[in-house]
Amino acid sequence: MKGKVLIVDDEEVIRKFLRIHLDKLGYEVMEAADGEQAIEQLGKDDFDLLICDILMPKKDGWEVIKEAKSNPKTKNIPVIVLTAKNEDSDMFKGYDLGASYYMTKPFTKGQLLYGLKLMLEEPLSSL
Amino acid sequence: MDLHLSHLLIGGYILSNILLTFLPKSWFSNLKFFYPLVIVDTGIVSFGMYLSEKMTTDFYLVFFLIIIFASISRNFKLLMTIGGITAFLYGVLLYSWGLLTSENSSSYTLRIPFIFIMTAFYGYIVQTLTREKRHELTISEDKYRGLFENANDGIILLRNPQLQIADVNREVEKVTGYTPKELFRKEILDLFGPEEIEKARSFFKEVAEKGEGRADYLSLMKKDGSSLEVDLSTKRIDLGDESFYQIIFRDLTDQRKLEKKIRQSKRNLEAIFDGIRDQFSLQAPDYEILRVNKAVIENYQRTYQELIGRKCYEAYYQRSIPCERCPVSVTVETRKPASSLIKSPDRDTIYQIFSYPILDEKENLISVIEYVKDITEEQRLQEQLIQSEKLAGIGILASGVTHEINNPLSGIIGMAEVALEEEDPFKNKDYLRDILNCAQRIGEIVKGLKSYSRAAKKEDLSPVNLNEVLEESLKMVRLAIKPASVEVIKKFQSNEKIQVNTGEIQQVFTNLITNAFQSMDGKGGKLVLSTRSLKDLVEVKVSDDGMGIPQKYLSQIFDPFFTTKKLGEGTGLGLNIVYRIVTKYEGTIDVESKDQVGTTFTIKFPIRRAES
Repeated sequence: MKGKVLIVDDEEVIRKFLRIHLDKLGYEVMEAADGEQAIEQLGKDDFDLLICDILMPKKDGWEVIKEAKSNPKTKNIPVIVLTAKNEDSDMFKGYDLGASYYMTKPFTKGQLLYGLKLMLEEPLSSL
Repeated sequence: MDLHLSHLLIGGYILSNILLTFLPKSWFSNLKFFYPLVIVDTGIVSFGMYLSEKMTTDFYLVFFLIIIFASISRNFKLLMTIGGITAFLYGVLLYSWGLLTSENSSSYTLRIPFIFIMTAFYGYIVQTLTREKRHELTISEDKYRGLFENANDGIILLRNPQLQIADVNREVEKVTGYTPKELFRKEILDLFGPEEIEKARSFFKEVAEKGEGRADYLSLMKKDGSSLEVDLSTKRIDLGDESFYQIIFRDLTDQRKLEKKIRQSKRNLEAIFDGIRDQFSLQAPDYEILRVNKAVIENYQRTYQELIGRKCYEAYYQRSIPCERCPVSVTVETRKPASSLIKSPDRDTIYQIFSYPILDEKENLISVIEYVKDITEEQRLQEQLIQSEKLAGIGILASGVTHEINNPLSGIIGMAEVALEEEDPFKNKDYLRDILNCAQRIGEIVKGLKSYSRAAKKEDLSPVNLNEVLEESLKMVRLAIKPASVEVIKKFQSNEKIQVNTGEIQQVFTNLITNAFQSMDGKGGKLVLSTRSLKDLVEVKVSDDGMGIPQKYLSQIFDPFFTTKKLGEGTGLGLNIVYRIVTKYEGTIDVESKDQVGTTFTIKFPIRRAES
């Protein structure tokens, strides 16, 4: 196993194709459909990467990132923000909170791979 | 000495005259009694003397002399002195003639006291008579003097033709400030100030010609120089050979001041009335135009004469019956203010017409004020404001929609990329189903937007089912803000349709639902949307269990630009627009809220039945 990735998004179809890509690359994938589930998962398992949506029910992505970054156990997990919020201010907010990469929806596989390369040193040609 | 008949007569005469003095004095002032008495009296004594055969010319002479004295003398003492002297002188005369010492001396001797008694008798009668007269005169003069002095009107007596003041009463003294002595030295014209003197002079000239006259609005000058406002009436009075003018006037200074104030305030009101650029008119309950201001004249391009006295519907619109939806007819019927909107058929103008009743003390309607306000511009601005708020709403919606579309779009792109690399047709079928699903979702969202664009159109009123609009609005808001897990409870009990612009009503509901979601602030909660029918109303409630509105803001939430949101997050127009739209359809909106418990907005729309 290359590593463990947590995908947090309330949109099922997005979780689905992300999982397909990551499966192919040989990552172990866990999913969460809202912020609360995500925080719960983070507490239970050790992850190598967090891919997190922002606008979600119950707790939003910002809270998930804050929570993750404030916990010593999880604070070093790199975070990819994956959101439909595409304003600069949102992007800066994401980086401020400690996110490492910011992807706006809709995105392509290429963008995802570039993120994975940065975070996990996945070669761009691997897919 | 024989007791001759003549002695009896004369003795009886004296006695009866003494008795006569005991009669009531007023009898003597009655000439019908007095003259016969004197004639009979004189007759008796003359006859007595004639019978005594001793009557002589000299006695007649003395006798008549006494009567003349007595009747002209006013002074009783003087008369008695004269009577005494006469009796004495006559005695001396008789003595010198030797008659007092003759054998018939007794009849001569009697003459002397007779003269004295007779004088006393006539003197007494004349005295009594004149005293009675004088008494009467005193009484009547006192009476008239009292009237003169105590009159509430000023009375001046002028000598004719010098116009010099001869007498004044107390009122003149009081109101002019002059003493009677000062006034007696003056001519009437001296009492007029320089501005009034010509007017006064011509007035008295006229009085001299006609013998009487009346002049209103004159002003006299008081001693202190201030003016005394009066109406004068003058009449010539001739007293014996003297001629006077009697002037009567009343101090109207205060009244004139009041009149002046009233006239001024009337002028002020007229100026205000005419100065108002909206049309004002006063109408009788039968629609007769009583007054109009300039704005009416200018608006209808008619003269006052063409409008006043005519029925409003004839004068303005050449109709034979009152206009439909005229608020004046409502006021005439209910005696309460009324208003309505009327669109001018010939011009593209919208008028709001207000009517107010004018009632008398018994609450009867005397007239109606009609106030016509051109609200075309106001309406236009309102439409504009609603429109711009709508645009702001569209902006918020757009960012919500972006998010909402980007999610399925990401799904489509992502799944398509996956499918492209997948050889297994079974797997691909699954991916294609996902893609279709996402595409359909986008289609739904786009369809939802269409109803929002409808709001952009103006003036298309149609029968609208509020439940449907609530549903659509809810969908829209869900697009715009991604609500946390909010439980939505719908209690739609009314299917009543109301005549409104769908877009505007949607704007109302999206605003309220958005606020409700925002008040729950990601924490989740319960949103209740309900409708029900009440008599002639449809009631809509939007209720949440969010943070509530603090009590201190409740009175301001419908004010324009009032917002508790951060700068840039809210325009402060949302609820104001809600209010404007609701009241535009003659609805009402109420809010109930409790801090940290929740808020309920209640809107009531009248059900508008088919209208011509």
